[in-house]
Amino acid sequence: MLKQNMVSPVGDILKFLSILMLLVITVISQPTFAAVEGEPEGVIMKNPGADLWREVRQRNIAIEGISQIKSVDSGILINPEADRWTRFRVDQLVNYAAIILAGLALLLLVFYLLRGKIKVEGGLSRQMLHRFSDYERVLHWTLAIVFLFLAITGLTLLLGRTFLIPLFGQEFFSLLASSSKEGHNLFGPIFFASLIMMILRFVKRNIYEKGDLTWLVKGGGIIGKSHVSGGFFNMGEKTWYWIVILIGLLISVSGLILVSPNFGQGRVIMELSHIVHVISAIILIAVSFGHMYLGSVGTEGALESMKTGYVDVNWAESHHDRWAKECRDNNRVISADKFNRLQGKINSGTEESGSVAVEGNK
Amino acid sequence: MARMKFYCDAERCIECNACVTACKNEHEIPWGVNRRRVVTIKDGQQGERSLSVACMHCSDAPCAAVCPVDCFYTTDDGVVLHDKDICIGCGYCFYACPFGAPQFPENAAFSSRGKMDKCTFCAGGPEDDHSSDEYKKYGRNRLAEGKLPLCAEMCSTKALLAGDANMLSDIYRKRIINRGASVLNWGVNYDKVKLNT
Ligand code: HEM
Ligand code: SF4
Ligand code: SF4
Repeated sequence: MLKQNMVSPVGDILKFLSILMLLVITVISQPTFAAVEGEPEGVIMKNPGADLWREVRQRNIAIEGISQIKSVDSGILINPEADRWTRFRVDQLVNYAAIILAGLALLLLVFYLLRGKIKVEGGLSRQMLHRFSDYERVLHWTLAIVFLFLAITGLTLLLGRTFLIPLFGQEFFSLLASSSKEGHNLFGPIFFASLIMMILRFVKRNIYEKGDLTWLVKGGGIIGKSHVSGGFFNMGEKTWYWIVILIGLLISVSGLILVSPNFGQGRVIMELSHIVHVISAIILIAVSFGHMYLGSVGTEGALESMKTGYVDVNWAESHHDRWAKECRDNNRVISADKFNRLQGKINSGTEESGSVAVEGNK
Repeated sequence: MARMKFYCDAERCIECNACVTACKNEHEIPWGVNRRRVVTIKDGQQGERSLSVACMHCSDAPCAAVCPVDCFYTTDDGVVLHDKDICIGCGYCFYACPFGAPQFPENAAFSSRGKMDKCTFCAGGPEDDHSSDEYKKYGRNRLAEGKLPLCAEMCSTKALLAGDANMLSDIYRKRIINRGASVLNWGVNYDKVKLNT
């Protein structure tokens, strides 16, 4: 039928004209038609089918009906957030996380090859300053190890399907992912607790002060060779501290919402929490690369403070001149001999000599 | 091969929850888990309707896309199944599924999630058909017996249909023709009505 009409344009035109005529007649006759009939107007009914499907699905909100099955969200027929969450995790999160983290690691490697270790100005003096107490160091390493563990287990869940299943096969990876999940759930709350203790212990020394601006202007001494000014913590360290605290709190709160599904939180809340959790986790892992780099191979003498609790006076001069001056003014400089004796005393329980390497296990 | 589908006819479902009960009984599903549920919308209002919903066995299943251990697979009949030996109970499929189909039995400690459980279209799991392992993990494999899902088989009003997608559409199309479209409400005198769709 349709094909026949198409080949004969005359038929088409005739058809069009007749439709036009019909339309004109209907329009003209409408008012007269109503007037002649004189009947009361009909009830206007909306399409109940349209109403039904509006109640079943909306583009932006999940609408709730009721169900005899009493569980969280059981009344919601279609959750529109589900698709958005899926797209985000599958199409964006996995790819970007892998690219960002791998790219950053590469960048640091290149930076190290170009810049090398930032040496302490004037070499090591072997005169020491006391910097961190035992409690502070234990706290730091607890948070650091729990953080690394959570990062590794979390990234296993996020990236394992792409990168590890092809290596290990599905069955072994399932075991790995299962222990990652259980371990992550168990250590999450410990991260939160250590973070709170971190706030209490270090917050006073991390409030920004006037001299910090100079540090920023000079690029933290990483780029140029000029002397930068800093107090107990310099501007860079303070910023790292606040990133850890603020993003760490975001990660913790969203993580705690995810970890236990039985406080009546629905799917939409959990999907949002997941997004907050992973984005902030990726940011924190990325920034922590920088911290780990600067704290170990990047800066000569930096790791000592967290290993032994003591730092070389010249290191302090390079990175924390205001603090070093304050220590000197208060006669807190410890000679190399005394430092060795102190280290020996701490180790007196064992047969080892007071070498710094042994102290690393403290 | 058939393309298996569920269809629930909103004009017929009377919210008797027999499908829910039949499913629980057939597969001996643990306490707290319901593979199927009936949802009523506009309860007590004009236009109240009920729909029975379980896993829809999506062609491009979001649950399978997000699963971190990649444990889902689609059978030749288009049924979406998963392997409980691989599943780690992370809950991501529950976030991804628009219909809330994946269910989780509570593990003892801190009520963390156990392995995911969902509607199998009565098609069992990756274990051998009719093995006791399969029955323990996934319930009965009625498809292998040549039967359709029990929920639909025993629906008293035949609101819930299960089977090959083309056959279901044929049945539903006939219903629509007989009913004169599903836009009409019961108990309304349509002689005086103008339809405003
Ligand atoms: C209070 C602390 C934390 C809690 C309670 C927590 C909890 C969770 C939970 C419940 C999940 C969902 C998966 C699962 O069930 O295992 C998850 C995923 C994840 N977490 Fe955490 N977490 C915490 C800290 C962290 C930290 C510090 C990091 C990173 C350094 C991190 C990175 C991740 C990542 C990458 C995922 C994977 C998300 C995915 O696969 O899509 N989490 N976390
Ligand atoms: S569990 Fe949900 S997302 Fe997966 S196939 Fe079933 S209905 Fe689709
Ligand atoms: S709960 Fe199981 S099936 Fe669901 S996404 Fe996680 S591992 Fe996959």
